[in-house]
Amino acid sequence: MAATPAIRPKRVRPVSEVPNIMKQGRFTPWMYLGPALFVMILFIVYPALNTLYLSFRNINGTDWATQACVAGEACWGPLENYRYALTSPIMVTSFINNLKWIFIMVPGCVLGGLLIATLANRVQYESLAKSIIFLPQAISFVGAGVIWKFIYDYGSGGPVQIGLLNALLVSLGGQPVSWMTEPQVNTVALIIVGVWMTTGFCMTILSAAIKNVPADLLEAASVDGANAWVAFWNITVPVILPTLTVVTTTMVINVLKIFDIVYIMTGGNYGTEVIANRMYQEQYGAFNTGRAAAIAVVLIVIIIPAMILNIRRFRAEEAMR
Amino acid sequence: MRKRSGFLLVALILSIALTVPSVLRAQSTNIDCKGAQKGDTVSMLYQWSGQEETRLNQILKPLADACGIAFKPESTRDQALLDTRVQAGTPPDVAFWTLAAAARYQDKLKTMDSLGANKAAYADFFVQNGTVNGKWLALPVKADIKTIIWYSPAVFKAKGYAVPKTWDELNTLVEKMVANKDVPWSMGFESGDATGWTGSDFIQDIMLVQQGPQYVNDIIAGKVAYNDAGVKNAYQTYGKWAKDPKYTVGGAQGTLSTAFLDAVYKPFMDPPQAMMVKQSGFAGGEIQKKFPDLKYGADYDFFPVPGAKGLQGGADLMLSFSDKPAVKALVTYLASPVGAVNWAKSGFDVTPNKAAVGSYTDPGLVKKAEALANTSGFTYDIGDTIPGGFGKAEWTAIVNFVNGKDLDTELAAVAKVQAEVLGVKPGGAATMAATAAK
Repeated sequence: MAATPAIRPKRVRPVSEVPNIMKQGRFTPWMYLGPALFVMILFIVYPALNTLYLSFRNINGTDWATQACVAGEACWGPLENYRYALTSPIMVTSFINNLKWIFIMVPGCVLGGLLIATLANRVQYESLAKSIIFLPQAISFVGAGVIWKFIYDYGSGGPVQIGLLNALLVSLGGQPVSWMTEPQVNTVALIIVGVWMTTGFCMTILSAAIKNVPADLLEAASVDGANAWVAFWNITVPVILPTLTVVTTTMVINVLKIFDIVYIMTGGNYGTEVIANRMYQEQYGAFNTGRAAAIAVVLIVIIIPAMILNIRRFRAEEAMR
Repeated sequence: MRKRSGFLLVALILSIALTVPSVLRAQSTNIDCKGAQKGDTVSMLYQWSGQEETRLNQILKPLADACGIAFKPESTRDQALLDTRVQAGTPPDVAFWTLAAAARYQDKLKTMDSLGANKAAYADFFVQNGTVNGKWLALPVKADIKTIIWYSPAVFKAKGYAVPKTWDELNTLVEKMVANKDVPWSMGFESGDATGWTGSDFIQDIMLVQQGPQYVNDIIAGKVAYNDAGVKNAYQTYGKWAKDPKYTVGGAQGTLSTAFLDAVYKPFMDPPQAMMVKQSGFAGGEIQKKFPDLKYGADYDFFPVPGAKGLQGGADLMLSFSDKPAVKALVTYLASPVGAVNWAKSGFDVTPNKAAVGSYTDPGLVKKAEALANTSGFTYDIGDTIPGGFGKAEWTAIVNFVNGKDLDTELAAVAKVQAEVLGVKPGGAATMAATAAK
């Protein structure tokens, strides 16, 4: 043990002498990929293809979807389920609502997260402030739905409002509002729950990006006389832009899939239906496999552009490092 | 001395403990184990929870003790769970579920005759209801009647209101209450994924008054489309009350957003926030639980929806995916006199098993069991009976109607689902034969 190994002179290996272990046959990469491919094919590729197939089939997959056509009414043949998924009134409502979710929840949580990350970066109690904002992330969507159901509770005719929001309204002399059933108001009320849930996620990622902004750049700017506002817009934002894009596209994907909040709080009633809840209702409420599959395919198709953008941006960001 | 009394106590406990099994054995002579072995298990899926679960356990305990069967229950309200299990080929041995599920899984279910159920223990309409394509697949285990209105006799007396005997009297009473600045109805739809079912119950009762039980059965059979004038009429009668704050607590928004149990409580609060609530028999137990000081008969009671021809009711059904001996023992037990008596004693609502009559102890249940035993016309919940997505479509229409959407559009949407599911063209004529001939 004590003996020191002999020091061998270093020499550069010629390329032809690559050790055996580094040499790869044609099948070696496939062997490495094998387990992952197997899992991917079994749990992602096969179900996706099967869903596509089922979307052309009837209510229980026993015949083509054409069978569901009613004489004298519009019919898309084997694409009949897609006629439902794209043109039925309830699906149109779902599309409009999903757009509302995107246009309110995504900016709400990205801008909210950015604001908090920037402000928290400047205070002593940063970790405490960020922990509090992040806390809702630890609650499941279902749990959050139940909590907010109480906040939005509407006590009809009763002297006491147990809903926090209505109790506040009444104590300020207002009339209680039935937040969950009032059209227009209810979808926004649900989106606020979503923002409350996800702002912490956006904040954490953006905060990390902000901390990566080179200090010398900011110092140089302040030497040149830029105030905090100018430095933020001209230095911080451009530097974190790739991260901002990834966070935004990730949120768009999440929002397109939104289900739990709507399912728990309104069940998709009162005009709050969204695509994913409709898909669930078709499968397990109406047991209509064909329609549910068609809605699933439509949802995938809508999500794909956001995913491509997301992956491209992510790669660009990696390449920069 | 002290030590000796301690010894005596131990001896006493021991002797009691030793005699308990023999008492059980004596009871078990009425229970047929159908060859089930000690240690056999029965997996069960049901929607009950809390006190309901306790009562079911109480009912099953003599069977478990006598045959050594272990029950492995799972409680869920999730439709998806049962369906996923059945599709995956791993269904529970038995499921306490709906008739729509019996129709959906008819090829996978065992018939109740083959499991040893005694058909004669049930009224004809219960057996008929559980029969799908000529096979008796669903054992009715727990019945409830829906065509009743709960009220407070004390409040009625104090305010000078009388229990109405006819639909016109009910209308007059409602208007009198409004004139007195009392809110007649308490209504509440909110019930998560199933929001709207209380409305569909009420509307079906109105159909029983305006049209009669045959009309309701024709809707279930697909002979009458759901957007028929009679259905529309019932919705309008209902909507007049359900959408107006003069008639119901909080008007349309109150009806929509009040949880169905909260609606049950309102007439019995102090001061009462409404005079009446139309809700099934189970409401009695909920009122008692919420207000333990109130007495049945004096502070809360029910009367049948006046003018209704026949009763609307429902039964929780047991479906069996297995025919192993332990399941046979369970089916035989529930359909037997000893099972019926144990069910009645547990106070777990009313069992359709005729042998239970006379064994109820709770006065509310006694009255309910009598009403059930004496009814001639009996109709099932339309939404529970028509399979597929009909029930959900019906609730959606009711919710949207109360929320101010156009009634004709909503009813047409339900009629379309009804036609799709039952193979009937909108308009009425059954075309099942025509489709088959093609």
